[in-house]
Amino acid sequence: MSADQFAQYLVSGITQGSIYALVALGFTIIYAVTKIINFAQGEFVMLGGMLSFTLAHSAGMPLVLSLPLSVLSTAVIGTILYILAIRTARKASVVSLIIVTIGAAILIRGLAAQLWGVGAVRPPFFTGDEPIPFLGALIRPQALWIIGTSLVATVVLHLFLSYTMMGKALKASAISQVAAAMVGIDTRLMALCAFAIAAALGAIGGVVMSPLTLTAYNVGVMLGLKGFVAASIGGFKSPLAAVIGGITLGVVESLAVGVDWGPFTSAYKDAIAIILLLLILLLRSGSLAAEERAG
Amino acid sequence: MSESILEARGLGKTFGGLVALDRLDLAIEKGRITAVIGPNGAGKTTLFNLIAGVYSATTGEIRFQGMPVNHIPAHKRTAMGIARTFQNILLFGNMTVLENVMTGQHPRSSYGFLEAALRLPKAHREEETISLKAMRYLNLVGLGMYAQQEATSLPLGQQKLLGIARALATDPKLLLLDEPGAGLTTLEKRALADLIHRLSEMGISVLLVEHDMPLVMGIAQWVVVLDSGQKIAEGTAAQVQKDQRVISAYLGEEIE
Amino acid sequence: MLRRAKGNWTYFVIAALLLFSILIPFDWFLGRYTGLVILIGISTMVTVGLCLLMGYTGQVSLGQAAFYGTGAYVSAILSKTYGVNPWLAMLIAALATGAFAYVIGYPTFRLRGNYLAMATLGLGVIMWILFRQLSQYTGGPDGMAGIPYLSIGGFVFNTPFKRYFLVWLFCLVILLVSQNIVRSRAGRALRAIHGSEAAAESIGINVTQFKVKIFVLSAVYASLAGSLFAHHLRHVSPQSFDFMASVKLVVMAVIGGLASVWGAIFGAATTRILSDELLLRFGELDVIVYGLILILVMIFMPEGLFVKLKDVIAQWRLRYEQRGTKT
Repeated sequence: MSADQFAQYLVSGITQGSIYALVALGFTIIYAVTKIINFAQGEFVMLGGMLSFTLAHSAGMPLVLSLPLSVLSTAVIGTILYILAIRTARKASVVSLIIVTIGAAILIRGLAAQLWGVGAVRPPFFTGDEPIPFLGALIRPQALWIIGTSLVATVVLHLFLSYTMMGKALKASAISQVAAAMVGIDTRLMALCAFAIAAALGAIGGVVMSPLTLTAYNVGVMLGLKGFVAASIGGFKSPLAAVIGGITLGVVESLAVGVDWGPFTSAYKDAIAIILLLLILLLRSGSLAAEERAG
Repeated sequence: MSESILEARGLGKTFGGLVALDRLDLAIEKGRITAVIGPNGAGKTTLFNLIAGVYSATTGEIRFQGMPVNHIPAHKRTAMGIARTFQNILLFGNMTVLENVMTGQHPRSSYGFLEAALRLPKAHREEETISLKAMRYLNLVGLGMYAQQEATSLPLGQQKLLGIARALATDPKLLLLDEPGAGLTTLEKRALADLIHRLSEMGISVLLVEHDMPLVMGIAQWVVVLDSGQKIAEGTAAQVQKDQRVISAYLGEEIE
Repeated sequence: MLRRAKGNWTYFVIAALLLFSILIPFDWFLGRYTGLVILIGISTMVTVGLCLLMGYTGQVSLGQAAFYGTGAYVSAILSKTYGVNPWLAMLIAALATGAFAYVIGYPTFRLRGNYLAMATLGLGVIMWILFRQLSQYTGGPDGMAGIPYLSIGGFVFNTPFKRYFLVWLFCLVILLVSQNIVRSRAGRALRAIHGSEAAAESIGINVTQFKVKIFVLSAVYASLAGSLFAHHLRHVSPQSFDFMASVKLVVMAVIGGLASVWGAIFGAATTRILSDELLLRFGELDVIVYGLILILVMIFMPEGLFVKLKDVIAQWRLRYEQRGTKT
């Protein structure tokens, strides 16, 4: 592989990885605050993309309106999911909650198939598709949008968590629900916020990536899986690890496809994330920390 | 000087930045009833969980009958002879009273999936032994007549006894009782004290963590006092009651 | 007197059900549904394992189709391409799948979090990719056909009628074996784990090991079912073992009842019939219905639909008996 090719694959890997990072952040936030693994996380990405297509293409809305509206609508859907499904099942066991989010995921997926059909759709590019030369690689402008938006979203999230009242309350809930409740934080409101934010993050990812990668009713599952893998690198506690994990996964996938491994074609690309997950499980499981019970 | 069934040397446990237990030395004598007391936050539960194998020690070591057990998981320690009860009992709500005690026989029986699936004679034989022994322990704690009832239908006092019966069913050499007196009436506490005496007579070493002073002072042959993660006194009940450090540690604490 | 009457009633119901099921494959009775009922039997085998897994380990497998598919493909490849005796192939498939499950299960169950769902989802995806990509062995996206029938001596299972009894024999054995396990020392240990993991550990139960064993058992059940599936349809293709296949299995288990053994029949039957009807009338709408079922059942009847039904029926019977004794 030449240096130019390497740079190309690196850029495309970072681009894809930024999406994984956003999904991973969504997983991390919901898990940290509610201890639930939200299987519908990937569907939020799908919805963001689908909605932006409908608003921009079919409704002819200008991007400056359609993009925020798509994100907002998805956040609302995330909130509805929380209120209708999760909050109602509050006292339920972990198994039940997982199954509920799985049910929600396929419900959303099924509805999407009905509303948008099974074909792939492409919303319009933000600023056209003229490739920009950069360090030996040709970057499509949408890729820059992806990387840039993800970066901004991550930074804004960080600022929100660290410097606003609401954000600090969220962090507190993540550390201890009991303690947070004792200082007057409404834990149900926090859970609702977590879902809304996670949905928004996913939607941002979807909105910004679908002009480049297309989107369809069934992209949620693999995106969710890969975001999960990235999030689990950080143990679902560290947003920073989630972001790094996401980008790393994207780069590894991209390079693996680029290098000629012989019998392994790009069809095996998806398998990389899964193998990584299994490795993480093996490594984590080997450490003594695996069996330590909390106080 | 009798031998110790359990020894802890330099035992310590730190959670993040918090030192729950600080280099504790402890020897539990065989066949004796030992009590661990101390104000809230003294580290009693931590010590308990370290011995039971729920926590792993940050420093020091624990030896059970001379064997080091630091890295042995909880379920294996039970097989070795350390049994425990829980402050919040943790009964198996999906079973009858007898079945709860029968589960305690798990480490003393061995038939598994295969023998069960094919209903082999070994399974039948072991089941009979398990039921018999379980019934015996149930009678020992005085709950024999409730054998077929749902475990959760029992009132609190009897649920606690059931928890003890379940732990006893593992045929332990050392029994750890976690606040067995909490929530019991005076009458029930007296019955509990009798039971603990009987267990001691049967040769089972007992370690109990307890807040109820009259109960402790009535049955404990040896008392260890903890405060802020350290041992501040130990001796007979009478000695400990007069100890100045113990009194000042409890000042501000409600002595029942 | 009343109690004996109730006992007799139960035997009567069981005898009637048995007679009913034996008569199903006859043309003059429900013979035209034989194919469907065979598939229900095969699905039941997988569902029982899943019910036990979800009920006793508290974790979900989103990739049971991987084990199901492995059983089917290994049986198909060994018996058709390599001429291995189909029964031997079935055994090999079951052992391989079991080993597979052990390797995945052990590290996953050791961890405190709920990693099984994603791990099995990933496993399902990998197997699906392999089924499609290793076309030299598996026939690729179109799958492979011409899988031989099962046979004992000269008796070949070449009609739905014969296969019906074979499949349901397997199914019955698995149900009985599962019931034996649940009622045994191992079953008590599993129920203890379900009741309180901390307490179960405290009485010497190796919680992780039991969870792994149940997972392996569920994988073996699925593999056997897959093998029977291959020798029934004589054709396997990757579409039967994708993510939605695993989801449908979870729906079956949820309807049948977590930790339930016989409820699995109910779950498998309801879902199969539902899925056939829905697909016929509404196309892709079946996914939406599955999603709703999962959400609603878990919120309102977390023990599963069948178990809840049993409770409701038991309450009715109680009220009926009380009314009887009053007069």
